[in-house]
Amino acid sequence: MTSSPSSGSRPPVAGEVPRSVVEAFYKVYAARDVEKIAEFLADDVEWTISGPIDLLPFCGSHRGKAAVIDVIGRQIPMVLRTFSFVPDAILIQGNQAAMLSRQSSRRSKDGRTMSYRVANFMRFRDDKLVENLSLIDSFDAVEQVLGHPLALPDGGRGNDGDLVAV
Amino acid sequence: MQTSQVTEPVPRAVVEGFYKALAICDMQALASYLDDSVVWTISGPIDILQFCGQHSGKTVVLKLLDRDIPLLLEKRRLNPETMVIDGDRVAVLGKLTARRRDVGHAISYRIAQFFRFRDEKVVEYVSLIDSFDAVEQVLGQPLVRQPCRRAADNDFISV
Repeated sequence: MTSSPSSGSRPPVAGEVPRSVVEAFYKVYAARDVEKIAEFLADDVEWTISGPIDLLPFCGSHRGKAAVIDVIGRQIPMVLRTFSFVPDAILIQGNQAAMLSRQSSRRSKDGRTMSYRVANFMRFRDDKLVENLSLIDSFDAVEQVLGHPLALPDGGRGNDGDLVAV
Repeated sequence: MQTSQVTEPVPRAVVEGFYKALAICDMQALASYLDDSVVWTISGPIDILQFCGQHSGKTVVLKLLDRDIPLLLEKRRLNPETMVIDGDRVAVLGKLTARRRDVGHAISYRIAQFFRFRDEKVVEYVSLIDSFDAVEQVLGQPLVRQPCRRAADNDFISV
């Protein structure tokens, strides 16, 4: 698991989340171990997934421990099973953590494999997760889920006037 | 983003100076923060958002940011909401705002950025955006959803 020069044994000061807590959470989250994930969630946790809700119904904000557990533990596995969640980077500062990961999943109904990057930005309070925002390359994710390219309004791709930069 | 190499922690002042230059597109200042071998990766559909993909080398990255992008997007700004600095790495969650130069309509979407520094220079950059949202905003209309099966069909993904 990725670490950094600041990941030594220095004890956290008040308000900081220990690296050990973040890494332990990451481990159970990567394994989608719902029972253990629940131990890390604050009762008022807010879990937001950025993406088109009408196509990816798990996107949007989910509030409260029960709702988050329901999303991770019941709704998602009905559709997808994640078999690999590998960190490219785990950053921790104060009570916040940011993660860049590579996620691989199989569609539950046909086993088709999908793989894409995921960014998570998390905030902890008293060693419990109170806020998460997940960001994915949602266009790619939708196309992988559908299994075909998205139809564009003008039927075309690569028109010079229809570009964006980031 | 490579995981094995760890260098000296980057000072916060360097991070803030770099990010300010990036956020307001101050290319002269930005150039001083980029390593000659910087690798700049933007996740997204390359055939629609043509600047997505991997760009290697300071000259290429500066051209991307200073010449190619402004041909299409003007008044581009980054508004950071969260910044996490840990060792030689930095992560930022924010919003990108801009106007499409040809039609003038506003664009705003979330962006996650991950940087790695070496000797106080950026050597690696990876960004993720809510690209579905970004594409719809750039096109100025919703993507055609008709061919897509919806919630009842179990054709979904989770993160």
